[in-house]
Amino acid sequence: MRKLLSCLVGLVLLCQSATSQTSEISGKVADDKGNPIPGVSVQEKSTKRGTTTDANGFFKLTVKPGATLVFTSIGFDTKQIVVDKSGSQSITLTASNTALSEVVVTGVGAATSKKKIAFAIETVNLSNQTKVSSGDVGQQLVGQVAGAQISSTNGNPGQPLNIILRGINTVQTSTLPMILLDGVQVGATDLNSIDINIIDRVEVVQGSAAATFYGAQGANGVIQLFTKKARPGKINIDVSSSATTTALLNVGNVHKADKHAFTTDAAGNVIKSDGSLLTFDSTLGVYDGNVQYNALGLTSYAEKPYVGNLKYYDHYKEFFQNGYVFNNSVTISGTRDKVDFLLSASDNKQNSNFKNNGDYRRSNLTGKLGIELAKGLKLTSLTQLIYTKNTLNDQTGRGIVYALNNTRPFANYQYKDFDGNYGVYVGDAAGVNAANPNYINQYTSTLINKTDIIQSFDLNYRFPKFLELDAKYTLNARNENTNYRYEDQEFNQNAVYNQFFYSNYNPNQAADGSTTGEIDNYVRRTTFQNFIGTATVRTDFDKDFHIKIPLKTVTILAYDYRKTLNKEYDSYAYDAPSFSPWNSKEAAVFKVFEDRVEPFITYGFLANQRLEWGDIAGISAGIRSDFSSAFGSGAVAQTFPRGDAYLNVSKFKFWENSKISNVFSDFKIRAAYGEAGIQPKPFDRFPKLNPANLGAGSVFTYPTTNPNPLLEVEISKETELGVDLGFKLLKGSWLPNANFSFTWWKRSTDNAIYATDAAPSTGVGSVLDNAFGLGSNGIQASLNLNVLNSKDFSWSMTTNFTKQTSEITSIKGPDVVILSSAGSTGITLKPGYKIGQLFGFLVLKDVNQLDPNTGQPFIAKANQANYEVASNGYVVSKATHQPVSSPTQYAFGDPNPTFNMGFINNFSYKGYLSFSFQWDWVYGSHLYNQTKEWMYRDGISGDYTVPFSIGGVSHAYTAFYRGIYQAGANNGTKDYFYEDASFGRLRNVSIAFDFAKVFKIKGFQRLQLVASGRNLVTITKYTGYDPEVSSGTANSTFDRGVDHNSIPNTRGYTIGLNVGF
Amino acid sequence: MNNSKILLIILAAALISLSCKKQLDITNTNEPTPQSAENELGVISLAQGAIYRNGFYDLKYTDGVYGRFWSGATGFLELMGDEIGAEAANAFMNQIGCPNKVILDNGTAVLNPSAVNTQYALLRTINSNQQSGSNPVYYEWAYMYNMITAANTVLDIAKNIKFSGSGAASKKATVDAWAYWWKGYAYAHIGTLYYAGVIQNATTTEAKTNGNYVTKEAIIAESNANFDKAATALALATSSTDYEATVSKLIPAFLQLGKGGVLSPDMWLHNINTMKARNILLNTTKSAMTATQWSGILALVNKGITATDLIFTGRTDPNGDFLGTTIADKIQSNGAATGTYKLSERWVQEFHTGDKRFDNNVKKLTSTGIFNTDRGNAFNTRYTLSNGGAGLTNVIVWANTTAGANEITLAGTYEENELMKAEALIQTGQVDLGVASIDNVRNYQGAGLAPLGTGLTQAAAYEELRRERRIALGFKGLSFFDARRWEIIAPDKSRTGAVVISATGVLNTNATIVYGYLDYWDVPDNELAYNPAVSGSAPVKNPK
Repeated sequence: MRKLLSCLVGLVLLCQSATSQTSEISGKVADDKGNPIPGVSVQEKSTKRGTTTDANGFFKLTVKPGATLVFTSIGFDTKQIVVDKSGSQSITLTASNTALSEVVVTGVGAATSKKKIAFAIETVNLSNQTKVSSGDVGQQLVGQVAGAQISSTNGNPGQPLNIILRGINTVQTSTLPMILLDGVQVGATDLNSIDINIIDRVEVVQGSAAATFYGAQGANGVIQLFTKKARPGKINIDVSSSATTTALLNVGNVHKADKHAFTTDAAGNVIKSDGSLLTFDSTLGVYDGNVQYNALGLTSYAEKPYVGNLKYYDHYKEFFQNGYVFNNSVTISGTRDKVDFLLSASDNKQNSNFKNNGDYRRSNLTGKLGIELAKGLKLTSLTQLIYTKNTLNDQTGRGIVYALNNTRPFANYQYKDFDGNYGVYVGDAAGVNAANPNYINQYTSTLINKTDIIQSFDLNYRFPKFLELDAKYTLNARNENTNYRYEDQEFNQNAVYNQFFYSNYNPNQAADGSTTGEIDNYVRRTTFQNFIGTATVRTDFDKDFHIKIPLKTVTILAYDYRKTLNKEYDSYAYDAPSFSPWNSKEAAVFKVFEDRVEPFITYGFLANQRLEWGDIAGISAGIRSDFSSAFGSGAVAQTFPRGDAYLNVSKFKFWENSKISNVFSDFKIRAAYGEAGIQPKPFDRFPKLNPANLGAGSVFTYPTTNPNPLLEVEISKETELGVDLGFKLLKGSWLPNANFSFTWWKRSTDNAIYATDAAPSTGVGSVLDNAFGLGSNGIQASLNLNVLNSKDFSWSMTTNFTKQTSEITSIKGPDVVILSSAGSTGITLKPGYKIGQLFGFLVLKDVNQLDPNTGQPFIAKANQANYEVASNGYVVSKATHQPVSSPTQYAFGDPNPTFNMGFINNFSYKGYLSFSFQWDWVYGSHLYNQTKEWMYRDGISGDYTVPFSIGGVSHAYTAFYRGIYQAGANNGTKDYFYEDASFGRLRNVSIAFDFAKVFKIKGFQRLQLVASGRNLVTITKYTGYDPEVSSGTANSTFDRGVDHNSIPNTRGYTIGLNVGF
Repeated sequence: MNNSKILLIILAAALISLSCKKQLDITNTNEPTPQSAENELGVISLAQGAIYRNGFYDLKYTDGVYGRFWSGATGFLELMGDEIGAEAANAFMNQIGCPNKVILDNGTAVLNPSAVNTQYALLRTINSNQQSGSNPVYYEWAYMYNMITAANTVLDIAKNIKFSGSGAASKKATVDAWAYWWKGYAYAHIGTLYYAGVIQNATTTEAKTNGNYVTKEAIIAESNANFDKAATALALATSSTDYEATVSKLIPAFLQLGKGGVLSPDMWLHNINTMKARNILLNTTKSAMTATQWSGILALVNKGITATDLIFTGRTDPNGDFLGTTIADKIQSNGAATGTYKLSERWVQEFHTGDKRFDNNVKKLTSTGIFNTDRGNAFNTRYTLSNGGAGLTNVIVWANTTAGANEITLAGTYEENELMKAEALIQTGQVDLGVASIDNVRNYQGAGLAPLGTGLTQAAAYEELRRERRIALGFKGLSFFDARRWEIIAPDKSRTGAVVISATGVLNTNATIVYGYLDYWDVPDNELAYNPAVSGSAPVKNPK
């Protein structure tokens, strides 16, 4: 390392200024909108004379009269002009019309045209898109990235997305890719906290060949965000404001049964077992007994209306509300001499779609400053401050939905007792899993303050020739302070009677069960630092060495250092004083229950050599070598090789000269191989004892999950093959051109870490081990169609296609069955099966249904006459009306989609009227409708009232529905609730009208009114609220197929105004 | 400033931030390492955590509904012992205690309504590695082997470290006695519940086991052998000062209250004898007991726990460090029996009228608890436990949710010792003496019942004993084993004269319950999946 450094220092000292010039012409290069283009190569044809444009697009060059100047810049069509006179020139470059000409840097190291890249990189230009109201960059990308599965799995504000870029490459850790901002990692701040308004463009690198650049942290791929650049010229001020109204989706018409099967008297009043009416005790806020409900009874039908003593309440109407979102943003940018700057302030405010559940607010301040310190030497500083205030009582919202969906509809949750308090539990009569969210909101409050700082510096020096040095450093800190407060509940008669309180640590162990308030404070700090030093050497054999071969080389040497420091300090306080207000310091009990520091350091070296032969072919190879504190002593580095090659067939003369080039303008084939890693967690290799409190003392205990000193970094190996095609289609404005990219990939991880079970008699619960082998493959494709490109009207269409599948190839030891973190649903991890398959009982649909394992019928032939297929398609026992399930459990299938597609259309008329929409299609995904299963427990689901025929007699048989809940095991996983969750969704539709352009309003560059809608239409067979949700841990690798009372996405309507000065 | 200088500054900054390999050598400052236990204070700290946390609290699977060892694993036994019922389906707790059949007074037979409708079939279905934490068979096994291996580690460390002071040998002996006692205890639990077990001499640190399964009888023998080693070690603790100082550090301070505390070596020996007597009594059916076994029990209980001995106890504490809640705490309820556990009518019916323990503890619900009929209706009940008791003085209180107020017993008790004595005496023809022991227990718990006196027939005396065992030893995890040795749980046996509330709220006083419960559980499949039986092992599955 030292050698490398002294070498770099030496090169700096050798740096010389450019040679002098005598006579010159000057000029300015701009794009078709008049924006200057810096960095354009200006070359006098057939000579070595040349220069590049400065930050304001200006250049000066000495040439002979009549010389031909060639202007080339990545992303623009090359232009040649003949200099007929000296003086100032004004040159306009046209942006290349094809996606292939885009420039990418992620996973390549140096800005490179997509035409010369040997693997798939997806780019999304955000600057002109209507932004999602949540302001979440990830949300914005849904459906726009070929190869990626990005799902919005919970509609509550601030909830993370599920992102899978390419296959599942790990088991215990998450699928979340690495996030880079302008080239450096954002290791502490969440993707959904970064200000979407300052993002210009996103590059997504999915494959290992590119992720090798990021070494032992790259296996899940990389999403790189690029901030907007100040446009040269005068100062721009952009202001945008929008207001959105949101409503929870309920595409499956989830509702509660409006009829019941409780025992009633002649008047329809629900009666108790002693024959008296079930009545509501208004003092205690409870029903004074239980309903009589013989769910499995042969004559039990959910056909009785709520008349008499029990009323039907629409709890959804009572607790759901329209949400609103307000977005405001101001950006000021411009350039002055050698300085460019961008300042931005944004504010996003969202409230919950549940009444009184709080809201979510995020404010971002961004400052970006670029200074050209000397010719070729540029220092850029990017600062972003983010403040998030979150008062949502129920972060995921799942607690509220669960409480409501497990309450029989006759519970009056708006009832307040004589003291004006809500009750929490109205008694077993309304369901034993019921709870009143009003109580929760009355007694609990949440305040989460989060401050994020991202500060990065980039110092870049381009030597006149060969060498470019770049040093980037970022400091990313996140400070999150979570405060939960539970108010004194000891005077709530209902809660005391039921001994049902809300608290986290207060054991509520007074003999009367009462609780006297609690405050919990969680202080979590993450400090992340990333330094990347890069030396790039570029040579052009023709230009630089006068060797007449079209060979260009790019050599990259990089050093990369990351340090994460996680600190956590958590405390609780309870037994509040009798006065109010009170704070932790006044509580009788105060305890610090977590005080943890977790450092993590990793660094690595990258060397990559790239050779290009004209425009025809390129090859590159490299290695990345990483050291890490998580590898134990750090003595051994982990090395990740990579290599790629492309051949641009369309650049061969035979192709260019043949008629085929009139249609196929580009034809590139490519192949790449790479390895990238996922590291163990910082202390996964450190043997430990767990200290535990035991009364006033502290004792040593053995942990249930044991670290393993032999743990290795998980390595994902990938091969990808692809082709990029450019088409010239019709002459004229219709269908002038199109691009098509297709990539096939295959990857494997043979040492994914999992806490494998140990035999209980070892005294150890589980041991971390490199236990799983995983294999994935997939294809990704995108088609960009320039449908119409006339003077006034343009229409472009993009179709993205993603197909990927991941399976378990090996396990050390037996199959693993785990419950979803959402609860109740079984998931199996089994070699030869798709990862995250649900696992459960089969509910029979054919009397002679065969056991897939034995080939024998589940119901013995001799007994089959006792069963029939009811009109709803399920086998029922004629004697009990109950369904029949398999005695043992089976894997159901892959909940992950077979493929997902995005269809994006953009229309523009005369530059002032634009219209766009996006359809997403997710096909073959499945969800386990655990929400519905729980609603089957106490006869709450609306399904209960759906009649069907058994033996020709139609009724709403509760024995069947309750029997479904019990089939196999009570609340056990069964295929009845495993539903096709394929869906088509009108993700986005937006229309914008720019008054400034139409009416040429003075002083305004833009005065654009935007109306947009999100999730307006969903087409699905799924019977839950929303087929896109997932209730398992966000970005879990296997826990993706369960819907357990997750908050659906919202349908939103937005009106916005964008003003530019 | 020229660009060279700037670059130098940046590069210098980079150099500072550059890592040398030393930086990678991070340390975990959050947790102690296994070496932290390898000294006198460390091993004592581990010896405490090994039992109270690893042995009773920390498992890879947990569930808040039934809770840790003393409400979960033990609760499963009480569900099968028909002291409690449950509606919640977590870990099939509502089904492992669901009888095959209940015949009501009017002759109506109510069958087990579950999809898998016998407990035999249920246990064979759910004792599967695939059930992971939902398999109730897993828990007791896992807790007890945690305790055994952790105790092995303690013994191993104690052997290799130097204890301080002149009483070093006594300190070591005390730590040894502690570890052997709990090993004996854990093997007793394994051998009493499971059909086979492994003898495990490896430490937790070694994290290994063996596939040589041995019979339940061999496990009980191992239990007794460890109890004997504990007794031997106690004899070596000759310095009472060092012995007491060590015991006072082994037992958490908040448990050194009431019947718990720094027991003397003699008291500890009494505890050992009671446990050894239990090993005999619970593992032979009443009808198969031999005279030798009865005299063996008598010999032990005569040197067993006395009314004034300190014993091993547990208590809740505000943070739930050791006990979250007890079984009784999960029963007590103000409302319509909303506790996780419902108090069984068959337990309540054992009380004699006038028993102050009933008055102090059993509370009639405002409305009879009628629960989900499709989860069986054996657990409908008119009763619950009163939280903190009704305030009668010197009468036992079972439920008390106030932190620290509820003392439970972890191993033998005076009551158990005395009732084993009573039973042995009654069964060996010394009925009056036996009945006196029953009276002792009633007096000890403050029952306030008239003495049974003399002259009861052996059968009548035994019936008093049966009822007294059901009540006095309630919620200690013994009722299932009693039911087993009284031979009422087999599918072809039954309990008659049972009080049952039907699904429609009708009170039956002479119902018959066919439980149909498996007598010894098969080895948990989670064990077998990762530690299959080697050839020559004893059968790991109960042939029934």
